[in-house]
Amino acid sequence: MTVPLGAFVAVSAVLFFIGTAGVLVRRNAVVILMCVELMLNAANLALVAFSRRFASIDERGSVFVIFIFVVAAAEVAVGLAIVLSAYRNRPTVDVDEIRQLRG
Amino acid sequence: MFDFIEPAVFALLTIAIVAGGAGVVLANRITTSALLMAFTFLNVAAMFVLLGAETIAMFQVLIYVGAITVLILYGVMFTPQSPRPYGLFFQTQKWWAAAFVAPIAIFVALVAFAFRDSASAGAKGGDLVPLATSVFRDFAFPFEVASVLLLAAMVGAIVLVKRDED
Repeated sequence: MTVPLGAFVAVSAVLFFIGTAGVLVRRNAVVILMCVELMLNAANLALVAFSRRFASIDERGSVFVIFIFVVAAAEVAVGLAIVLSAYRNRPTVDVDEIRQLRG
Repeated sequence: MFDFIEPAVFALLTIAIVAGGAGVVLANRITTSALLMAFTFLNVAAMFVLLGAETIAMFQVLIYVGAITVLILYGVMFTPQSPRPYGLFFQTQKWWAAAFVAPIAIFVALVAFAFRDSASAGAKGGDLVPLATSVFRDFAFPFEVASVLLLAAMVGAIVLVKRDED
C-alpha cells in the first residue's frame, strides 16, 4: 500500500497555505523571508511528487526542483542583503515601518 | 506485511511538517522560528526520500537545512529583534542539545558500522543518474544560466551590504 499522490499534494498545499499566511500576517522582514522559503519548499514537494508518480515525465520535475533551489538561494541572499541595508538606513525590520517609497 | 510502514511514516512526516510550518508563523522568538524552519525542511527532505527522490533530498538538506537556515540565522543575528532580553537558544540548554544530537550520532555510527563491508553501497545510483542525464543533457543551457544568476545574486548581495568607504 503506497501513499496516494493526492496526499503529497495535500501536504504541499497545506504547507504553501501556511507560508502564505505567514507572509501576510507577520511583520518581521526576516520571518517573511522564512515563510517565502516555506512556500518554495511546498512547490518543490508537489513537483517531486508529480515527477515520481508519473513515470512518463521521467526526471523533469526534479530538474525544476534543482532550479528552484538555485532561485531560492539567490532570493534569500539578496533578500537578507536588502533587509540589512534597509536596517542600516532606518533601524527597524518591521515592514510596516519601512515605507520611504510610499507616496 | 510491512505495508503499514509507508503510510505511518507519511502521517508522522505530515504532522511534523504542518506543526513546524505553523510554528514558524506563530512562534514569538525569531530564533525559534528559524530552527523550526530547519526542522520543517528536514521533514520535507524525508518526504522526498519517501517519494524515492534521494538526490533531491540530499540537496534539500545541503542547501535548505545547511545554507539557507544559516543565512537566515545570520540575518537574525544582524538585525534587532524584540526588546526583551533572551539568550541564544542552545546556549543555556546544552544538555537538551546533547540529548538531541546523541541519538543522531549513534544512528550514524550504527549505519556506518552496518555498511562497513559493502564496497559499492548504492551502486544502483537511485535517481541520481537520470537526474544528472536530464540536467547536463536536456537542461545544459538553463544550468549555465542558473550559475550566472547565482553569481549575479552573490555580487548583488555583497554590493548591497558593503559599507561606503569614503
